Amino acid sequence: MAFFILRRIGVMALTALCLTFVVFFLTNLAPNLEKLAKTQGNARMSDAEVVSWLDRNGYGGPLVVRYGEWLGVVPGWLREDPITGEWRGRCLARGQDPAEAARFCGLLQGDLGYSTVSATEVSSIIGGRLQLTGILMFWAFAVMVPSALLVGVLAGMREGSRTDRTLSTFSIASTATPEYVSGVIFIVLLASSQIGISPLLVEWGWLEGGTLFFGSARSAMDGVTFWNFTLPVMTIALYGMGYIARMTRASMAEVMMAQYIRTARLKGVKFSNIVMKHALRNALIAPFTVIMLQFPWLLNGVVIVETLFNYKGFGWTLVQAASNNDIELLLACSIVAVFVVLVTQLMSDIGYVFLNPRIRIS
Amino acid sequence: MTTTTTAHLATHPAAEMYAREYKTGQLSRREFLVRSTALGLSAAAAYSLIGLSPAMAQRATPAKGGTLRIQMGILALKDPRTYDWSEMGNVSRGLVEYLIEYNRDGTFSGVLLEGWEANADATQYTLRLRPGVTWNNGDAFTAADVAANFAAWCDTTVEGNSMAARMGGLVDADTGQARAGGIVVVDDLTVQINLPAPDITLVPGMADYPAAIMHRDLIGTNPLDHGVGTGAYRFTDYQVGISARLERNPDHSYWGDAYLDEVVFVDLGTDPAAWFAGAEAGEFDMTYQTVGEFVDLFSAVGWDRSDVTTGATVVVRPNQLNAPYDNVEVRRAILEAVDLSVVLELGMNGQGTVGENHHVCPIHPEYAELPPMVVDKAAAQARLAAAGHADANFTLVSLDDGLTRFTCDAVAAQMRDAGMTVTREVLPGSTFWNDWLNYPFSATEWNHRELGVQILNLAYRSGVAWNETAFANAEFDSLLDQANGIQDANARREVMARLQRIMQEEAVTIVPYWRSLFRHYRPGVVNADMHPKFEINIHHLGLSA
Amino acid sequence: MEALSWSGDLGAFLNPVLMVAGLGFVAAFIANFMLTLVGLRPGEMVVNADHSLSLQRTPVDYTLMAMKYAVALFALGVLGYVIGGMILASPEQGGILGGMAARLTPVWLSLAALFAVSITFKRRLGLYGKLFDSPIGMIGFGLVMFWIFVAVFSGIIATHGPIDVISQMRNEVPGSPLPAPAEGQYAYYLLGGDNLGRDVFSRVIYGGFEVLKIAPLATLFAFMVGVTLGLPAGYYGGRLDTGITFVANLVLAFPVILLFYLLVTPEIVAAGIPNYLSMVLFVFPILFFSVLFNSRFRTDPPKRNLLVGGTVVIGGLAYLSLISNPSDPDLPMIFRLWPEVLDLFDIPGNLLIVFVSVVFVNSPTVFRIVRGIVLDIKTRDYVAAGQTRGEGPWYIMLWEILPNARGPLIVDFCLRIGYTTILLGTLGFFGLGVSPESPDWGSTINEGRRLLTIYPHPALPPALALMSLVLGLNLLADGLREESLKD
Repeated sequence: MAFFILRRIGVMALTALCLTFVVFFLTNLAPNLEKLAKTQGNARMSDAEVVSWLDRNGYGGPLVVRYGEWLGVVPGWLREDPITGEWRGRCLARGQDPAEAARFCGLLQGDLGYSTVSATEVSSIIGGRLQLTGILMFWAFAVMVPSALLVGVLAGMREGSRTDRTLSTFSIASTATPEYVSGVIFIVLLASSQIGISPLLVEWGWLEGGTLFFGSARSAMDGVTFWNFTLPVMTIALYGMGYIARMTRASMAEVMMAQYIRTARLKGVKFSNIVMKHALRNALIAPFTVIMLQFPWLLNGVVIVETLFNYKGFGWTLVQAASNNDIELLLACSIVAVFVVLVTQLMSDIGYVFLNPRIRIS
Repeated sequence: MTTTTTAHLATHPAAEMYAREYKTGQLSRREFLVRSTALGLSAAAAYSLIGLSPAMAQRATPAKGGTLRIQMGILALKDPRTYDWSEMGNVSRGLVEYLIEYNRDGTFSGVLLEGWEANADATQYTLRLRPGVTWNNGDAFTAADVAANFAAWCDTTVEGNSMAARMGGLVDADTGQARAGGIVVVDDLTVQINLPAPDITLVPGMADYPAAIMHRDLIGTNPLDHGVGTGAYRFTDYQVGISARLERNPDHSYWGDAYLDEVVFVDLGTDPAAWFAGAEAGEFDMTYQTVGEFVDLFSAVGWDRSDVTTGATVVVRPNQLNAPYDNVEVRRAILEAVDLSVVLELGMNGQGTVGENHHVCPIHPEYAELPPMVVDKAAAQARLAAAGHADANFTLVSLDDGLTRFTCDAVAAQMRDAGMTVTREVLPGSTFWNDWLNYPFSATEWNHRELGVQILNLAYRSGVAWNETAFANAEFDSLLDQANGIQDANARREVMARLQRIMQEEAVTIVPYWRSLFRHYRPGVVNADMHPKFEINIHHLGLSA
Repeated sequence: MEALSWSGDLGAFLNPVLMVAGLGFVAAFIANFMLTLVGLRPGEMVVNADHSLSLQRTPVDYTLMAMKYAVALFALGVLGYVIGGMILASPEQGGILGGMAARLTPVWLSLAALFAVSITFKRRLGLYGKLFDSPIGMIGFGLVMFWIFVAVFSGIIATHGPIDVISQMRNEVPGSPLPAPAEGQYAYYLLGGDNLGRDVFSRVIYGGFEVLKIAPLATLFAFMVGVTLGLPAGYYGGRLDTGITFVANLVLAFPVILLFYLLVTPEIVAAGIPNYLSMVLFVFPILFFSVLFNSRFRTDPPKRNLLVGGTVVIGGLAYLSLISNPSDPDLPMIFRLWPEVLDLFDIPGNLLIVFVSVVFVNSPTVFRIVRGIVLDIKTRDYVAAGQTRGEGPWYIMLWEILPNARGPLIVDFCLRIGYTTILLGTLGFFGLGVSPESPDWGSTINEGRRLLTIYPHPALPPALALMSLVLGLNLLADGLREESLKD
């Protein structure tokens, strides 16, 4: 088991290394760097000025070396400005003596670099944003997983019954409704003061102006309430729910066909007892792996929902960093994203092994 | 702000001339106010010259205390000289103040200046500083501060220093620095500015958002880094793209009045729909500006509306360095094909007045009325064919926002109506702005300027930094020089008529409309009226008692 | 002219029908729910003493029956709108619904013909025919075919051009008449105008064409890439498998949005990355077909030479035309070498990058599925039989294993087209779509979203269209899976 996990962690590290290099490569392509120089410096730079700006700001060296600097395995760049005589460098705070500064400052040293758009350290940005997204993810899971399992178990309990048909169709419909569709429909129905149900409620005097739910979740950044968080959470949960429900249904249906369940039924055990005591545990193994694998998928949903509802978490940061070519912020985002994907994969594998008595990994 | 106007000039010879022009109907009231207060007259004095009581929109006095949340984009701050967005000035205005302030009604009033005078031909300005102003680090605010800032504004070696262009003749073209003898410290509270040629745009220049006054030892720095300023507020939090928070600085005695305890700027992105959703969710109390359909919508949910007519516009301009736009006939064909009233309707929701394809707005004092331009789609097509570009494919680039995007879509549709092939390209802000000057055919948003000559100087003179049309015309340049030195509105109008006509004849750009600007705020917010240059001075803002 | 009502003259008669059906359904549903809650069960067959069967009906059965008839009535009402709209022809009489039904006439006719033929001959049509035994599958197939026919006939159905602007029609509500319709111009905007005065109905129709132009083709390419790599990886195993699996997992570990943001930006297009990627990805179809024919007709050299040669020549020409664009001076030299004369077609960088990204994102998943199936199937006897017969490995993979894997692959193909449609919509939603004025559904939703709270009519139709297409594909996949499991 230990060897299995170690091996997996090794593969993970290698994957993360490759992925960050790809991101690094794509963000450091010549046109992207030119764009960076022009946004940071001056929109009217000539080509020669762009080259000199890039050189002065440490973007001049070979790609691999700069990647090494970012990783922290190559010493950070250090240059003396030929005009002002000021020392500038990757590891150098403004006005710091180059002799005092650290030689290496990269990922391995815990330094995530500098966000060019926000003009602050990446590490000071990313923590808070992740926390916000964590809250959103937590609630989305809290809504999605129990309801998906419930729907799946109910549907799979009696395969082919009318309940099964209805619930299965519902799950299929939910997987066919991406976040940007359901979000749009939710806002129209529930969060507009002009149409949908809010004006009706106001007319009937059940609501004092405004809207029932909020179409913007910005206030949820300061404090989550039912009214500002329901729509984003529901939007994420709805799309993910169908898939888990279908997996649960399939797994439940399979378990219900198993010999030991039949035996129990023939022995006259009450149906509810069979479901609760015998079927459920075995039926939930497969959905567990699916739920874990759902995390990276949720990441997509989070990006869309955070953009749609103006909730400034990790997904929003990723979009901003990508569209502004904020290289080091984007790299930090991709590290986090890749980490989430790989860790959930690992957990799903380990969890599967633990839950399933039939599998043994020596 | 009533105290600021007491020490202004009582009168000025040119102002008296303007007053006569006003009385004979040659100047509108607004034009008169702009021009006479620019010469150093107080608004009260200006009004009295034309026999009116000071009806200037006197600000109400709000209650002390409270928190106000303002929706506005939060960008990374930098050296104020290099500010390129009004938002930057707004967010730092609570900390670093300006010498002069441009008011909603077109007048100028002193902030850190108690008053100023111009000599008869507008070549010498005497600035008198407000006594008793201190920096929040305890230093006194003196003439040395002002002189140091002027010198810094004139420094053309600083990348992106847009104040250099506003200082005009004060910059020595050879050294790229302030002209020797241009800035004279007369005494602790008096500074004299000597210009080689008459320049009436100096005062508007000092009131513009990059002209924030920094401490004499901290010039060239980002005010956020040190927090030293004369304003009543200090930053407690600043997160780019999210929010900025200012609180009243308890360790600093401010020279004037400030009402609010705390001001929060909230960034809700660039999508006006998100602003409206935020407003419905109660996330802020006042918009930076309201656009398009949302003007009616904000009013519909019970917010108060404030509007102002301005010379702000979106120019849809070809760049003459690129084929086929180097051919004047092609440009003329494009202008001939586009019905500006449709563009106003589609791009601006009809909220403004139709433009005339030259960049001088009817509300500018020196605007000259020209015969209307003809829209003739058939003629446009024939003209294009005659120029040999009948099958040219025009790619129209725009920013991915509401206003410029819809304006360009409307222009493209008009051109297609005339049988032209148009491809649209929409770029996100980050990509768009890094090349905005060089696109062959694109659209740019231009803000309001106080005088008609200002934009012509900034954007249409040969070779200037923001000349996005690559328009270079010797006759235009010399006429512009001439206009810059004429104080008399009528005399200048004659020159302006020729400048405007050159722009039309050379088909320099499409100027489809003049925008009305709107702002909304919750009932109970005081002094939050829309400003023609989007300025927000948090010292004035407050909540009603 | 007056604005159209939703239901026109038909409404007076059909609306009550629909309303009765709807209310009846709801009432029956609630009654059914309550009855089951108190423990009543549907009646069961009882064998009588005289060996006849009788059904003991309980109240639950009656509620179920009521629901069934309500649904039937509702379907009849809808059919009434469709047929009524087709017969009445003029939109003033048919209303908006009738008008749309009338415009969609070619689609209805094709659908009717297709279903009639398919159901008649369903026993002879294999898996496809079996689809018509499953109601779910039939509904899904109907939805999918509806949009395919809409795409095919989009030029006939649409009332206006996708980017035709009539400025007075800006944000007008559904059914608004044109201010001054020209001769022969359709006089109404059936679903209203968007924020630029374009016809929402026509844009949804053309949007269907845009989506169905890219999604199935991109999925097909992803399948060819996935199959070409998945077969040997599963069959040979070992280093090859480890290597390809690692790369596939690498791509899968990338958050899709980040990947799109990195790939679909003007800077990346300018650097020629889409061309490099397409250079790699589009080799696979040629490779796939060459190996396919080669392995099959190895023993018949003339036929093999003809087929493989044909594939290489035609595929190669298409390939080189696709990846190179000699007239674009911004591209790296390598893509401008191919002579202009032989460059059959050019694909705009935007479209190419969207296409390539979608293929790139989808192929690793297909690879994983194919690999899994191959690992399973290669232990079967018929594979061993082929090996002992001395067949080459590629023959076994392509002609023994692949046909036996078709069931799950077809199912996944349907699901994946739906997923690709959603992906394309996501791209449009972030403004990374094909072109800014493109009527594709994602972009239209994104544009309509801005004014959603005041004017929902530009955003809702494309949203519902996208949803119904994806739903159709999912139902179709479900039906296919169900039927293929019955084998």
